[in-house]
This record gives sequence, C-alpha cells and structure tokens, in this order.
Amino acid sequence: MEACRILLADDEKALTDYLAPILERAGFAVTVVHDGETALRYVLEKHPDLIVLDLLMPGLDGRQVCRQLRAAGDWTPVIMLTRVNTLVDKVSSLEEGADDYLCKPFDSHELVARIRAVLRRRRGPANQPPLIKASRLRSGDLTLDRRTRRVYRRGQPLELTPKALALLEYLMLHPDEVLTRDRLLDAVWGWDYPVATRAVDVRIAEIRQALEDDPEHPSFIETIIGIGYRFLASVEPLEDTR
Amino acid sequence: MNRRRFFGIALIGFSLLAILGVAIGLQQGAASNPVFRLQVRADLGTWILLGGTAIVLSLLLVVVGRNVVCHLLQQSLASAQHEYFLSRLRFIRRLDHELKNPLATIYAQLAYLSGRTGGDSLEQVQGDMLAQVERLSRLVAHLRKLAELEEQAIERLPVDVASLLHEVVEASQVHPNYAARRVHLLLPQAPWPLPAMKGDRDLLWLAFYNLLDNALKFTRPGDLIEIRASENGSSVTIEIADTGPGIAEDDLPYIFEELYRGANAQGCEGSGLGLALVQTIVKRHGGSVKVRSRPDRGTVFTLSLPIAS
Repeated sequence: MEACRILLADDEKALTDYLAPILERAGFAVTVVHDGETALRYVLEKHPDLIVLDLLMPGLDGRQVCRQLRAAGDWTPVIMLTRVNTLVDKVSSLEEGADDYLCKPFDSHELVARIRAVLRRRRGPANQPPLIKASRLRSGDLTLDRRTRRVYRRGQPLELTPKALALLEYLMLHPDEVLTRDRLLDAVWGWDYPVATRAVDVRIAEIRQALEDDPEHPSFIETIIGIGYRFLASVEPLEDTR
Repeated sequence: MNRRRFFGIALIGFSLLAILGVAIGLQQGAASNPVFRLQVRADLGTWILLGGTAIVLSLLLVVVGRNVVCHLLQQSLASAQHEYFLSRLRFIRRLDHELKNPLATIYAQLAYLSGRTGGDSLEQVQGDMLAQVERLSRLVAHLRKLAELEEQAIERLPVDVASLLHEVVEASQVHPNYAARRVHLLLPQAPWPLPAMKGDRDLLWLAFYNLLDNALKFTRPGDLIEIRASENGSSVTIEIADTGPGIAEDDLPYIFEELYRGANAQGCEGSGLGLALVQTIVKRHGGSVKVRSRPDRGTVFTLSLPIAS
C-alpha cells in the first residue's frame, strides 16, 4: 500500500526538522514547506492526502491557506497547529474548514494519532466536504442542527443545556473516535484541569438521559473505561434544505 | 481649548442672567405681592460690584474644584498604575523562577548526554527530560487558560449550590488527606434551603473544589474543615474554613496572584495558580472572595456570589 502523503507547513524550522522524521517513522511520506504561499501551491498541484498547517506563518497564514483551499473547492483534510490556544482560534480554525486542531506545544504521538483519526474519518468518497462543514448532522433518528443549536430525536426537539449540546456536537463530529475526557474538556469547555473531568461525565449523563441511551447497551455514546467516550453510531452530513 | 473657552463664557453669561433674574424677581415681587415686602435698593455701581464678585467667586470655585478633582483622579490613576506595574513585576519574577528550574535541569541533562560515554541510563535521562518539558508545558497551558477564562463566555444557568457542594465534598473523598481530616458540610434548611443561583456550574465546581483541596492540602491530621453556606436574598455566601496552620500575614495580600506561593506552600505540590483561578471564576460571576487567617488558628475563605448575576 502506498504511504499517505502529508504536507507539513510550518515556519519553525527547528520544529519541522524533528517532526518530519517522526511522521516518516510513523509511515507517512512527508513534504515540508515553510510558508503559506508555497503550501497553497503545493496542495493545488500535488494533492497530498492531508495537510498539517501552522496557524501563524509569515505571508499567508494557516487560516488564509485553509480558506483559499476551501473556496477553490479543495477539501484536503487539514490539521491546524495553533500557538494561541484561545477558544476563538479553535472555533475559527474549525470554521475555516480545518478538520482538527492541535495546540502547541504538543506531543508528537498525539499528532500522529490525530492524523490517523482524520484520515480514517475522511475515508470514503474522496475530496468530499467534511462533517465539520455541514450545518446539520444526522445519526439514525437523531438530528443536530448546528446553526439553530437544537437537537431532534424522531423529529421531536430534545431539551439540552448549551454545554451538553456542544459536547454532543463534538462527539458527532468525531464519530468512532475514542475521545479522552481531557480532550473533550479542552475542546468544549476551553479548559482542562485534571480534577474537572467529572464535568464531562455530568454532561454525558445529561445527553444519555435526553437520548434515552442506556450506558450498558449504548446505541450512541459508549464509555471507554478509564479513558473517555466514543460516539458509536455513524454520522452523515445533511444538505441544507434552505 | 475651545470647550474650555465656551465653558468660561457660558459661566459668566449664566452668572449675569442669574443676578438679573434675582433683581427683576425681587422688584416685581415687591410691587405685585403685598405680603412679600422685601425690597432691595442699591446703586447700579453696587449691583455691578456684587455681580462681579459673584462671577469671580464662582469662577474661582470652579477652577479650584476642577484642579482638586483632576489632581485626585491623577493621583488614584497613578497609584493604580503603580500597583499594576508592581503586580506585573512580581508576576514576571515568579514566572522567571518557575521557568528557571526546569530549564536548568534540561541544560544539565543535555550536557550529561553529550558527555556520556557508555550506553548507561539513556532512557532514564530521556524520561527525566520529558518530565521537565511536561512541567513547562503544563505551566504555559495553565497560564493561558487563566487568561482565557478572563474573557471567554461563561454559562448563565440556574445552579443548585447545595447539590454542587455535596458533589465537591464527595469528589474530595479520594484526596489522600481526606480520611485524616474532619470535613463538615453545613447547609441551611430552615426557613428554606439555598436558592438556585445563575452561573457556570462547572466553573463554580472548580472554584469550590480548589478551595477544599487547598484546605485538605494545608491542614494537619485531626484538623477540622467546615464548608458553610448561607444566603441573604440577593447573594449566596460560601465559607470554607479550617483549623489549619493559617497563612502568614505577609503572604495574605498576594495569595490570589498568579504563581504566588506563601511560606506554607513552599515544597507543596501545586501550580501556584489555584487561588488566582478561584478569584477569576468568582469575579466572572460578579462576586467576591475574601480571606481571613490567623497563624496556628486557621483560615477562612469567604465567597460571595450574587444569586442573579
């Protein structure tokens, strides 16, 4: 099987010098570029399987590269590396059409895991818009409207607190992926203090109650003991009816 | 400059009008109203003199008043700036201190690696270096999160403080010191239980947990920890009190600052950011947190949180 081709775009040479060999060791074919313009040109010409894109680069920054790619109808998966871990940055990297983001400093093993997860998630019809771009997500008889912030089961609206809804949304955007409590806290709450992981459990319980999902025999959210949670069911993007 | 000129002209004009008004009023009042018999007679020169004096006096009053107000404002601004400057300086010194140790250790480890001859303990050094890097990453992450918390949107939903406090106590039972302390939760029942308050449940949990965790950490076996709650119709007050060794008086003004470690906290594990976090959370809820402490008697943290923030 041919190795997945990854473009690593980061102006920090000290980082790419070490990161590229690590990714290669993990079985990827890696090309490194150090600025946004080159990254954009490379993607449009060579069509790599995935881009690891630094948010802050001279010239075109990661966000602009992502936006221009998406505007050109290119849906190559993007993992954004952010230096400033503000929620605004996370939200905007996702809104620009990035598939995932990782905050610097990060563990390189975590990056490898995220690359694999995104590639797995994006398997299927090539160059399709990812779930992250859909305004509505459907899993069986469950529908989550990301714009109006409402959840429906068999057409009936469900009562959820905003936090629980954001958590369900994140789970549905990462189906079949084991998500640690720390990662969920970081992504949904914007902070992860070791003692606070029970906040995740409380909201999961709320979602399960609303979905009438039995934790023992779940059809939506599975508990991975000692680690976190996984959204079991498959999720598909719904076309906008408007 | 233009505004000031306009102000001066308006002032003089207003004074003249006022004097004229009084004079006419008195004259007319004397003529038409028989009960009102006061009559003021004076030469035109006297009137002008009186008017001039009034104008000069009001001008003087305004100028002096303005100067005094300006001076006071400037003074308080300067002292606030100075206080901010000092607290930043203290923070940078502490940050420098926190960064120095792990960095020095990494340097030493690198030097050790480059001078290494045999295949001895390579994994050990790598593991130690990783631990130092993780320590630095954690510090950076915590500081960043604290900064984020100051501006990010927080939830404003009804929170049952009583059940939240129960949860916090329950969660603290895994604390290694829990068994050797007496932890009492005192919640009002009469005439009514605590009302629900509007806020971010998870952040409030974190604030309460941090204070209880501190109490468990800094007290001695056999010490008593009391968590008390009350309300006065507009706010909920939560006290976390202990019979521990207390906080030194010199430390008290600084304990809510980032990375500050009091004399008692030296050698204790912790990020030095817990109380700063508590204060930020409480402030975001429109409340306040205060501390009282006596050496060898104990400490009480008092949180006051508005019911409808």
